[in-house]
Amino acid sequence: MSLSRAAVLFRQSPLVRRDRAFLASAAGLFLLLLIYPFWGDSYGLSVMRDALIMSVFALSLDFMWGQTGLLSFGHSTFFGAGAYTMALLTLKAGVGSLTALLAAMAASAVVALLVGYFLIYAGVRREYFAIVTLALALIGQQIILSFADLTGGDAGLIDLPFLSFGINGAKFTFSGDKPLYFFALGLAAVVLLGLWLAVRGSYGKILRAIQSSEQRAQALGHNAAAHLLVAFTVSAMLAGLSGAVFTSVQGIVTPELIGPILATEVIVWVAVGGRGSLIGPMIGCFLVVRMRQEISSVSTTLWPLVLGAFFVLVVFAAPGGIMTLARWLGSLRILGGGRGKGAAR
Amino acid sequence: METALPAALNALTLISILMLVGLGMAIIFGMMGVINLAHGEFMTLGAFTLSCIQTLGGSYWLGLALAPLVGLAFGFLIEGLVIRHLYSRPFETILATWGVSLIIQKLLEIIFGSAMQPVFNPFEGAVSILGVACPAYRLFLVAFTGLVIALCLLAFRRSQFGLDLRAVIQDRDMAAAMGINIKRTNSLAFAIGAALAALSGVLVAPLVTVYAWMGVTFLSKAFFVVIVGGTGTIAGVAAGSALIGFLETFFNYTIHSSLAQALVLILAVVIFRFRPQGLVRR
Repeated sequence: MSLSRAAVLFRQSPLVRRDRAFLASAAGLFLLLLIYPFWGDSYGLSVMRDALIMSVFALSLDFMWGQTGLLSFGHSTFFGAGAYTMALLTLKAGVGSLTALLAAMAASAVVALLVGYFLIYAGVRREYFAIVTLALALIGQQIILSFADLTGGDAGLIDLPFLSFGINGAKFTFSGDKPLYFFALGLAAVVLLGLWLAVRGSYGKILRAIQSSEQRAQALGHNAAAHLLVAFTVSAMLAGLSGAVFTSVQGIVTPELIGPILATEVIVWVAVGGRGSLIGPMIGCFLVVRMRQEISSVSTTLWPLVLGAFFVLVVFAAPGGIMTLARWLGSLRILGGGRGKGAAR
Repeated sequence: METALPAALNALTLISILMLVGLGMAIIFGMMGVINLAHGEFMTLGAFTLSCIQTLGGSYWLGLALAPLVGLAFGFLIEGLVIRHLYSRPFETILATWGVSLIIQKLLEIIFGSAMQPVFNPFEGAVSILGVACPAYRLFLVAFTGLVIALCLLAFRRSQFGLDLRAVIQDRDMAAAMGINIKRTNSLAFAIGAALAALSGVLVAPLVTVYAWMGVTFLSKAFFVVIVGGTGTIAGVAAGSALIGFLETFFNYTIHSSLAQALVLILAVVIFRFRPQGLVRR
């Protein structure tokens, strides 16, 4: 892609009211998150930190699902691929944090590129795409479980080194509650802003045009399959990034990070927050993670049951998908305008 | 011969199971355009029925007879509660049936615990074929499945219900105009698909570990059967099962079993790339 083409795709137009609403709500949210460490306790801080890292995962799915309409039902494959690449490289190969992070992103991107090429160019869309990607997550988890001597099997790997980055000879290591919290906060802010800037111009318009009618977009001269493949790969890369950061902040990696439950959960975050609004899925992630915390304190086995009931409820209570709620909120200009149109597909 | 015959029998076992699971899934998909992610749970329910009956002192054969009825009942129940309301919204059906699947798994785990459920094999011995000892149970499984599939084929081709099914698969609206009760046909087809899956659960139970999540592993294989074979035809299901079952058994003998699954996934995706309609066209 030439530079001038990129300039056209990502040209930033003047702010309109919807943009101001987004920026205002994002600024408000991050201001709250910024002052939270001054009254939150250590436990609350670690919960919020994990939620922030997970919200990057939610953003990655929303970029794909919200903009292009293609739902990856096994997005945890990429989260897990990033997590395990990070864990294995830092723990077993002794690679530095930055290199390992980049490698984790690359690993997820390569998996998405390969799978995506065959699926997207074969015209696999909608429910078929969802199903094959779900199978991907199921098999990914099995692979992790069966190479137990490398991946630790069911128990996973523990004692991962802290994130540390060397800049001009100085070494910054992120450990302790507050530095890790602010690192997660910064990461979430950068990804949110980056994605928003990327999709507010013509690039986002093209993706949404493909969502509303692929043939029409194709007839207008856009290479729909190529756009979808790129979006899928970028989305997977971001998922890999959040997986890699999550696992090294936790210091542990387990097979749950690649399985179908997490893949289900991320869909719930995005659906709750409102598909396509970026900041909505982030808030959805905070809310659902908080809810899981509450439910797990009652019983740890109850969560998948609630998750399942939630899925059924979403479909029946909000026939157009949960978008109905998001649109309603959007009309109140809380979530920066309900961009998602039509049924959740 | 020493390894070829048992390998062939293993492949045939897997192919039989996949055919039973895939058949219900493909018919449901072909008729209603509904992808039922809870289909694997019907299989789990079948296996659990057997385990319950055997724990209570009943025989394997009682389990084999009762499990399809349990599947049938749950099939009607889930069709009536969930699927029926989502016929025109295939995407939402995925979400809803996945929710149902999680709920059934978790309820089974809460009721029966997460440990492996005990199941007893009715034929412990081996039969000697051409001087090679073959497990009697697998021979029974393959023969019994063959019989069931043959009956299904007969019903699909010759019975009034089969005619209705084929008409609905071919053209839903036209079938309705011809006076076929679409709702009843759909619900019966769904329940029969569930019963077949429950039956396959009983058949496979003595060969695998029976626990609340067992359906999921077969679910992904059944997808590939349907995707690779094409929807709405028994021949497609047979072709898909044969290919997936053969590939997986073959890879299992040569490489690690989960790598084998990954390879099967990759091959299914590649086949999908070049034959999006499936191996057998309707």
